[in-house]
Amino acid sequence: MKSLSLYLHFITLRIRAQMAYRFSFTLELLSQASISVIDFLMIAILFERFKQLANWTLWEVGLLYGIISVCFAVAEMVARGFDTFQSLVGRGAFDNMLIRPLGTFYQVFAHEFQLRRVGKLSQALVVFLIANSHLDISWTLGKLGYLFLALIGGTCFFIGLLVIGAASCFWTVQSIEIINIFTHGGIFMGSYPISIYQRWFRHFFTFIVPLACVNYFPSLFLLNKIEPAGASRIVVQFAPFIGILFLCLTALFWKWGVSHYQSTGH
Amino acid sequence: MKPRYLTCHVYLAFARKSFQKQMQYRVANLAGLTTNFFFLLVQIFVYTAFYAARPGPQPLNLNDIITYFVLCQSFLMLMPLWGTRSEIANAIKDGSVALQLTKPVDFQTYWFADELGKACYYLLMRALPTFLLSSLFFKVTIPQQPASLMAFAVSMTLAIFMSTSITITVYGTAFWTLDATGIVGIAHSIITFFSGMLVPLALWPGWLAQIGGWLPFEGLVNIPFSIYLGKITGFAILMAIGKQLIWSVFFCAIGRIILNLGFSRLVIQGG
Repeated sequence: MKSLSLYLHFITLRIRAQMAYRFSFTLELLSQASISVIDFLMIAILFERFKQLANWTLWEVGLLYGIISVCFAVAEMVARGFDTFQSLVGRGAFDNMLIRPLGTFYQVFAHEFQLRRVGKLSQALVVFLIANSHLDISWTLGKLGYLFLALIGGTCFFIGLLVIGAASCFWTVQSIEIINIFTHGGIFMGSYPISIYQRWFRHFFTFIVPLACVNYFPSLFLLNKIEPAGASRIVVQFAPFIGILFLCLTALFWKWGVSHYQSTGH
Repeated sequence: MKPRYLTCHVYLAFARKSFQKQMQYRVANLAGLTTNFFFLLVQIFVYTAFYAARPGPQPLNLNDIITYFVLCQSFLMLMPLWGTRSEIANAIKDGSVALQLTKPVDFQTYWFADELGKACYYLLMRALPTFLLSSLFFKVTIPQQPASLMAFAVSMTLAIFMSTSITITVYGTAFWTLDATGIVGIAHSIITFFSGMLVPLALWPGWLAQIGGWLPFEGLVNIPFSIYLGKITGFAILMAIGKQLIWSVFFCAIGRIILNLGFSRLVIQGG
């Protein structure tokens, strides 16, 4: 409870700092929104021309896009501290965190909160809602609960990716930029049904980096497409929990990393 | 008035230094190459799936599309605001630009030289490897006529000039906003979209393609790559290159105005 109120205090400070430059903040909000608007515009143009993609319509893909973008926007908003972690390690500022009476994972998590990601988040929500209004999803309590869990799971998945990128700094000081392939690249590839990719690619993003669990399996569930897509119902039902599990594993990786930490000695 | 007695070899030296600076980041470049390749792979998967449904005759066939996106990923880092942010752009933010203004050189040309040095680096270390590597894995078309290769070379050079002058103009706005991140992000989205980097203009719906044609940004990607693919031929090539030339000059001029206005209201942060 204490850590929660402390967290709220931390993010209030971060938000106030970001609001100090109101004009810059507004522009950054718009910039975040514009990036995701063109991403979806690209998809819309392709559907306008080709009409359908492997039996998926534009708005079904809009659902895919909406879910993954919401998850990523929230993850970036709350967990950007892990993304900028390399500068903490580079400056030797992480040493300070080690002597404070709070967990390091918690401190890094709490030291950044980017309100400007609301720009991206609202664009993603708008796409999701428009898609939903074009689709004929019969919302039941079960489906709503499932969607809620799926969004949590997806957000956890992306936070987990950021944690891996940050934890790699314990060995390499500089963050491994390859992780961008899975975050930004993941959004890009996850905006289309994973069934269109080649087998090895599909399997990689299902079993090794479980991106398919973020939006593809949940969308199959919501759209009643499980059987036509040839997916297993059990896998689909457990998909939301994979992201949470993934985050737990990366937290362990983090812990292991901290024990290997050698200060840059500034 | 700044003295103009310095000749172009000074700027060449700046460009060379900027090139050498980029050479330091070998690992980052490797990571970038991998990312380029990943995005290319996804793009090719996606278009293959779209074309698989036999959507009827299209202005570009799948081979054209693959070649187009191979070129896109190869030249990506040469496009406006895609490359790493230069020290000069950062200098406006942290105030150290004051020091650079004391150099007896023309500031915009100096910045231009710095960006072009970087561009040469990306041509050699990013565009070339991405293109060669992709040709191994995918069916990339090579223009048969030497004339169209020549035309492409001219058009691409102009695209790089235009890209550089746009980059300088956009970062130059930092004199007003202090932190250019927001403006850069918005400009980045608009330019990236209208350049045709996400979807070639030939596949856009008519009305949108028309808007794209009025805007300058198709000169960055859509024009040079359409020339490469042989979709622009004959006299139209001259028209297209003329358009690129006019917009390049335009952005140089706008950039100069913005920078000059910026200097006149320059307040150094942090002292």
